Amino acid sequence: MVAKGDMLYAWASDAACLEKGECGGAVTALLKYALESKMVDGVLTVKKGADVYDASVEIVTDPADVEKGAGSLHCGTLLLSKILTKYQDGANNKKLALPVKGCDMMGLLELARRNQVNLDNLVLIGLNCGGSVAPVNARKMISEKFGIDPSDVVKEEIDKGQFIVITKDGNHKGISIDELEEEGYGRRSNCRRCLYKVPRQADLACGNWGVIGDKAGKATFVEVCSEKGADLVSKAEAAGAVATSAADPKGIAIRGKVENAMLKLGEKWRKHDFAALSGNLWDDIQKETSRCIKCYSCIENCPVCFPKEEDLKKATTMVPTGQVPPNPMFHMRRLAHISDSCVNCGQCEELCPMDIPLALYSHAVRAEADTTYLPKLGEAPYKN
Amino acid sequence: MAMKYVQTTCPYCGTGCSMNLVVNDGKVVGVAPYQRSPVNEGKLCPKGVYAHEFINSEDRLTTPLIKKDGKFVEASWDEAYDLIAQKLKSYKPSELAVLASARVSNEENYAIMKFARGVLKTTHIDHCARLCHSSSVAGLATTFGSGAMTNSIADIAESKCIFIIGSNTFEQHPLIGRSVARARKNGAKLIYADPRLTATGKQADLYMQFRSGTDVAIFNAMMQEIIKNGWEDKEFIEKRCVEYDALKGEVMKPEYSLENVEKISGIPAAQLKQAAEWYATSGASSLLFSMGITQHTTGVDNVKSTANLAMLTGNIGRPGTGVNPLRGQNNVQGACDMGCLPVVFTGYQKVIDEAAHKKFSDAWGFPDGICAPQNGYEVTIMLKTLNEKPGELKGMYIMGENPMLSDANLSHVKEAMEKLEFLVVQDIFMTETAEMADVVLPATCYAEKDGCQTSTERRVQRFRKAQDPPGQAKVDWQIIAEVAAKMGYAEQFAWQSAEDIFNEITSLTPSYGGMSYERINKPEALQWPCPAADHPGTPILHTAAFAPAMPDSKGLMTAIPFKYPAEVPDAEYPFILTTGRSLFHWHTGGMTRRSESLDSEVPTGWIEINVDDAKELGIADNEMIVAKTRRGQVNVPARVTKDIMKGVMFMPFHFVECAANILTNDALDPVSKIPEFKACAVTVEKIQEA
Repeated sequence: MVAKGDMLYAWASDAACLEKGECGGAVTALLKYALESKMVDGVLTVKKGADVYDASVEIVTDPADVEKGAGSLHCGTLLLSKILTKYQDGANNKKLALPVKGCDMMGLLELARRNQVNLDNLVLIGLNCGGSVAPVNARKMISEKFGIDPSDVVKEEIDKGQFIVITKDGNHKGISIDELEEEGYGRRSNCRRCLYKVPRQADLACGNWGVIGDKAGKATFVEVCSEKGADLVSKAEAAGAVATSAADPKGIAIRGKVENAMLKLGEKWRKHDFAALSGNLWDDIQKETSRCIKCYSCIENCPVCFPKEEDLKKATTMVPTGQVPPNPMFHMRRLAHISDSCVNCGQCEELCPMDIPLALYSHAVRAEADTTYLPKLGEAPYKN
Repeated sequence: MAMKYVQTTCPYCGTGCSMNLVVNDGKVVGVAPYQRSPVNEGKLCPKGVYAHEFINSEDRLTTPLIKKDGKFVEASWDEAYDLIAQKLKSYKPSELAVLASARVSNEENYAIMKFARGVLKTTHIDHCARLCHSSSVAGLATTFGSGAMTNSIADIAESKCIFIIGSNTFEQHPLIGRSVARARKNGAKLIYADPRLTATGKQADLYMQFRSGTDVAIFNAMMQEIIKNGWEDKEFIEKRCVEYDALKGEVMKPEYSLENVEKISGIPAAQLKQAAEWYATSGASSLLFSMGITQHTTGVDNVKSTANLAMLTGNIGRPGTGVNPLRGQNNVQGACDMGCLPVVFTGYQKVIDEAAHKKFSDAWGFPDGICAPQNGYEVTIMLKTLNEKPGELKGMYIMGENPMLSDANLSHVKEAMEKLEFLVVQDIFMTETAEMADVVLPATCYAEKDGCQTSTERRVQRFRKAQDPPGQAKVDWQIIAEVAAKMGYAEQFAWQSAEDIFNEITSLTPSYGGMSYERINKPEALQWPCPAADHPGTPILHTAAFAPAMPDSKGLMTAIPFKYPAEVPDAEYPFILTTGRSLFHWHTGGMTRRSESLDSEVPTGWIEINVDDAKELGIADNEMIVAKTRRGQVNVPARVTKDIMKGVMFMPFHFVECAANILTNDALDPVSKIPEFKACAVTVEKIQEA
């Protein structure tokens, strides 16, 4: 029997999951089993769209379709948290399983703290994440730094501090992420600052860090984080969907080292980015937000923004309707609203048509507030 | 329970942004970002963010309607088709006119073009490109040999100096505005010329406020200053252009001195001088324009002037340069490319060209031939003909256009439309134009069909079907094919899918010749010209030479004398009225005014009045006033602002309850036949209490 706190290697028994999935296909196999066994009504998959740079989502109800989500997509920068509140009624009347990166998980935790999403109805398979690269930037990087036609790339991976691409001719090329990022390529800036690499608040935390020896590349490291997670793995194994073995103690140590190295790097970027805000933040915010075209993307896509839909777009004392750019209070009001909850998911900034560094501002404000004020909703169950 | 994303392209402006439609149990319920798009990287403007809101409006048209005794009565498709076939057959080809649509797909525009020229055999086909960029197409085709935007959207970010005139880019093409902002972050200078200090102007390094309609004088003054300082690109002129002496002869005239043009335009001489220097010496200058340039009786002159300035300084054919007319509607480029103009087949193959005429006639195989190899009427001429030559035009078929709100001098438009004996309109809502129809056919919106559209940067991208159409509504090409079949031409319209039509298009259109659905399905899609299956498409035009359509592939410089607008202020109508759009709305408002999020931002129209003018007139902000021109009057709330030039007033044209186009002038550019929407004489008065 698997128990909370266990560290395992796991791999799919099913040939298709094994072949299509990453590192033994355990995540795909577990999601598939959750659906097959009717533990959930559907699986929210993140699947490859047009190519390796394109992530799309689909909720599937046929176990055979779960494989659509097999394989990693480091250029998929979408956030799943708010899909559940916007389009799935906060999972209040259905049970869903889904894979979650750290930012998806933090978003869900903040939503749950405000009763916007029902975590009891979710099976969350956490995915260790060192960060993602926005698709268009990834293609630019591969073209300019790797000297490879990005359309020839059939697979990409992040391993041992390198961004590695594999072309249709089977060629591998890797360049250190440090080097890429020094030159302005690489991960999204919010990912660089992220300090939540292993989503331990999910039911399971899965990844390839710490898989060594003959299991390297053929199994997934699974940290069992909840009773629900333990139950899923136990039943899936009993049903023959996955096989497991205890993780190699050396592998556990290596996984810890990788995580620590990623956290140190995150601290470095955080210091770098926040220091650049310096003493003129107020003026900078004013200047940058003067380009705003009031598209509401920063509100619509923010997992910790809770507008009163019927009132959000009405004229108010501070924010009259129809102005372009809007009154700066349009932004200050939102910043105040999310100040104690920004999870640094980066959606506001990535989706801003005017490239206003909104995530940097709200993350900096949250980080400062966390060190200077007591948390109003109690200590957050994650640290970022 | 079942939920999926369907990637598609935005139905609003010509930027060509992609988005995901969120589909829950077969219904579109939202828009989600599509980060993989090379154009917008997932970013959207407010119209894109809320582009799902109108789709399932309760008042979508769901059944064919036939007008009986002045009232619409529901009909079956067969009844509607029978009536249409019978009526259309009863007219001579020259008595029929067709309006295609910049809103629908390339396939649907091609279908109606083939229908007009092959089934109806009329030469009269046009669409609302006439009202937006006909001047660009005419002006650039005669100077560069191609009427489209020369460079690409991403390329604008590479520019060192961006000169925007007659375009409020941040509001009308927000994701092109982003490229402008990125260029500025990299140190580029932004020069902005407009009568209004718009959201775009507020980002400018140099803002030049000028009186609407004085564009040519401004360009000539800048060129004089450039030549005086020796900033012209002599090598480029020598190798790539002709008629430099003629141009020089004109612009060096004393009337184009900085001081004199200050008097004409209102722009201080020092600003004109600065603009000339920055534009000529940056190393890579890009020129962006839109309706502020084209919608004048001198629209073609204005466009040719932009080309003159770019050629004079060698700012063409390289990254970060170019002459970039920003096309307004999602598929206005495509509708033009598909030959929905009275003078060309697809890919600008001239109808009067014997070989082109034979090519289409042979390929289509209509047993009784196609229309005569003659140019037809432009939409503005169709309307004038209806009013001035009663009986010449009798029937009209309109697909997805609303001239009853979009065209200049609406009272005349109404009179003209009332003279039609028979009008068919296919649309998604009961528009002002559909109200006047004899038969209304329910069509599909962008979320309900497959197809492709061509953005302002010549990028041909897919529409993808996300949900079924409401009620009995059908895709436009299918409606057209079924009417054609009813009229005896089933064989020529035997397509089973949009892809079938696209394959027919590519077989007849050299600039699309190398395209296929397989290729345009990729996120990068393809930018025309793409003449062969292994051709990568063309992000920048005119790199080594101008288009082959030009003699020796050289650019033609043109001497352009300055002319005032057709109607200038006088004692009776002492102000200049210009028109434009709001970020939150689209054209005649059929879609955006049914989108709650957009409608709540801007629920109605207004007239912008300078604070000093308002003070003299005793008009307060928000006061309901009456605006009058020689063509009509409307009641409209005043928006008193210091952001508009003294002596100039502005109205958005989306709002039927205060329709700017009741006031606008239908005087036409002699070449492009575009009306002068952007400058007429107006007066405003307080409304007297009864």
